[in-house]
Amino acid sequence: MAERSDAELLEDLLAREQRLLSAYEAALRRDAIDASLGETLRDDEREHVQALERTLARAGRRNPRASVPSPELTAALRDRRSFARHAMELEDATRAMYAEAAPRMRDPELRRPLGSIMCCGAAHVVALKDSLGVFLVN
Amino acid sequence: MAPSLTRREALGGAAAALLVASCGGGDPPPATGPKPGSGAALLGSLLALERASFAAYGACLEVLRGEARAQVHAIRAQERGHAAGLERLITDLGGEPPPGRSAEEYERTFPRLRTAADALRFTQDLEERQVRAYLEALTDLPDLALRNAAAGICSDEGNHLATARVLQGLPAAEGPFVTGAL
Repeated sequence: MAERSDAELLEDLLAREQRLLSAYEAALRRDAIDASLGETLRDDEREHVQALERTLARAGRRNPRASVPSPELTAALRDRRSFARHAMELEDATRAMYAEAAPRMRDPELRRPLGSIMCCGAAHVVALKDSLGVFLVN
Repeated sequence: MAPSLTRREALGGAAAALLVASCGGGDPPPATGPKPGSGAALLGSLLALERASFAAYGACLEVLRGEARAQVHAIRAQERGHAAGLERLITDLGGEPPPGRSAEEYERTFPRLRTAADALRFTQDLEERQVRAYLEALTDLPDLALRNAAAGICSDEGNHLATARVLQGLPAAEGPFVTGAL
């Protein structure tokens, strides 16, 4: 299989970040997350989305189309604990995508900032674990 | 009036001193084998930092209790695993992992940790330095397999850093970018 380009990898990451952003926006609307925590996580995701969009724009790429909410999200919005567990899964899957994509970037200048976002994702998982009262270290 | 040094700054300075001590002339680079530019020297620096952090967390555990102690104990166990992984990578490159220092040698570089708050601030400073070191390695390591390994460990260090912050009552992430931004 052909190696994917930097732009293609960034588009995949952007799609994941948009999904996370939508999830936190929905959770805040439905009171499925503590407002202060939800706003912090949402704002971080918004920054990640904007940074990826700017990087893709510089590469002359258009943003991928936003996806529809998943049935899993709809189900998770029923209460705070189920949303926190759902968000943890999304965050951890996104963190894993960054861990795979960052080392593959052909442009070495992109590796560090993507690693930085990966670490922010790891921190989000810790924040969500803390909200659930579970052990913080992986 | 003379500028005062906050306890946080003092502990941060101590973490920096520990970093310098762990990566300085005391730990020789891998002695034989790997080609120049293979990444073995950089891995050796990361290994020295992991070993120093492992030793530092031993000092932290002496003043921590309860939940915080359990979390830092788990962090310390992971650092040992990271060190073992880095040793294997250096060996695979044909190098010899640097020998490291005795616990007493590391201990001389630590700040005096009087309280749990001191230990957690020191933990946070150490983890910030580790995250930065692995992010730099992610940029600089020449081989994809080595960068994959660095990314995996960096993700763990991000978890540790956030844990240290939460244990101090701080937000898990300081901002959307742990260091550096797109």
